[in-house]
Amino acid sequence: MAMATLRREGKRIAAPLISHHPDNPLRSSVTSSEEHEVLGVRSISTQVVRNRMKSVRNIQKITKAMKMVAASKLRAIQTRAENSRGLWQPFIALLGDTPSVDVKKNVIITISSDKGLCGGINSTAVKISRGLHKLNSGPEKESKYVILGEKAKAQLVRDSKKEIELSITELQKNPLNYTQVAVLADDILKNVEFDALRIVYNKFHSVVSFMPTTSTVLSPEVVEREAEAGGKLGELDSYEIEGGETKSEVLQNLSEFQFSCVLFNAVLENACSEQGARMSAMDSSSRNAGDMLDRLTLTYNRTRQASITTELIEIISGASALEG
Amino acid sequence: MTSNAAVPFWRAAGMTYITYSNLCANLVRQCLKEPYRSEALNREKVHFSISKWAEGKPEKPTIRSDTPE
Repeated sequence: MAMATLRREGKRIAAPLISHHPDNPLRSSVTSSEEHEVLGVRSISTQVVRNRMKSVRNIQKITKAMKMVAASKLRAIQTRAENSRGLWQPFIALLGDTPSVDVKKNVIITISSDKGLCGGINSTAVKISRGLHKLNSGPEKESKYVILGEKAKAQLVRDSKKEIELSITELQKNPLNYTQVAVLADDILKNVEFDALRIVYNKFHSVVSFMPTTSTVLSPEVVEREAEAGGKLGELDSYEIEGGETKSEVLQNLSEFQFSCVLFNAVLENACSEQGARMSAMDSSSRNAGDMLDRLTLTYNRTRQASITTELIEIISGASALEG
Repeated sequence: MTSNAAVPFWRAAGMTYITYSNLCANLVRQCLKEPYRSEALNREKVHFSISKWAEGKPEKPTIRSDTPE
């Protein structure tokens, strides 16, 4: 837009040169430039570009600051996320991961961020959840959503608000910790009925790469059923159980604890991916702001120089006309 | 519960394993010496807001927090 205004102004400056009066060229150019002054066209249109440059520079400052903040938050949370992976790995070794299990009551837990400006991580999580929902819906089956974070809620409300069971926000007000996530996991367990919980989150690989991931937590009854069917879970019988507890008790405790651990890891991984995505998004947006600033400066300077040159030509040609 | 054996006392009280283990963990934290005790207790702060949905409408969110506003 600013370019168009500039171009228009350039034409107006050139106009008096073309329609000059041969008998008194000096006066005509002076009056026409006075007309411009009165209209204020020349001063305003360069000011538009100047204002634009100022606002772009401010935006660039903000995005740079956000990148710095995201980078420092990422460093703090990355080690915690990597350490928390040790929590669920034993469960995978013991119970295996069964994303393809076919059960009646599915609960999809979508993990997203509360804040935006972090690239596409929230929409990938929502997309994967929708896919899982479609995959697990059918006659005699039902899938429900449990949503963590504002952003996925805003996206899922649009088309599947009937299926939302719970939504949780403001999770990241304090630094994430296990107690918090455990209380949350407890609330989820008490409020929904499930055969399988499917947690959808973005697993952190590096600052620029996140994998949308699902973790599946089965209810104790399903674990028992699957164990009888054999496979990885069939090896459960080879473990000796200490104490007076029965196998189903142990399984119930185990699946509850597995859920809280997996959820803890998922929340941390997602927070880590969020900061990473925000960092790279802010990096590219400050780079784009820089490019835009360069272009604007170039047009601004060129127009300024053009108007100076025109004025000089007007003065010189006027003076030489008087001399001659 | 499908088991016929006596359920543990904490499950009879309506707790899940998560609550039980959290209570135990909190007890262990309280056994620490200062300054580690307050450090460990301050680290584990709970705050989130949870709302149930019925008929496609969110109900009033309840805030689970152990820090007074």
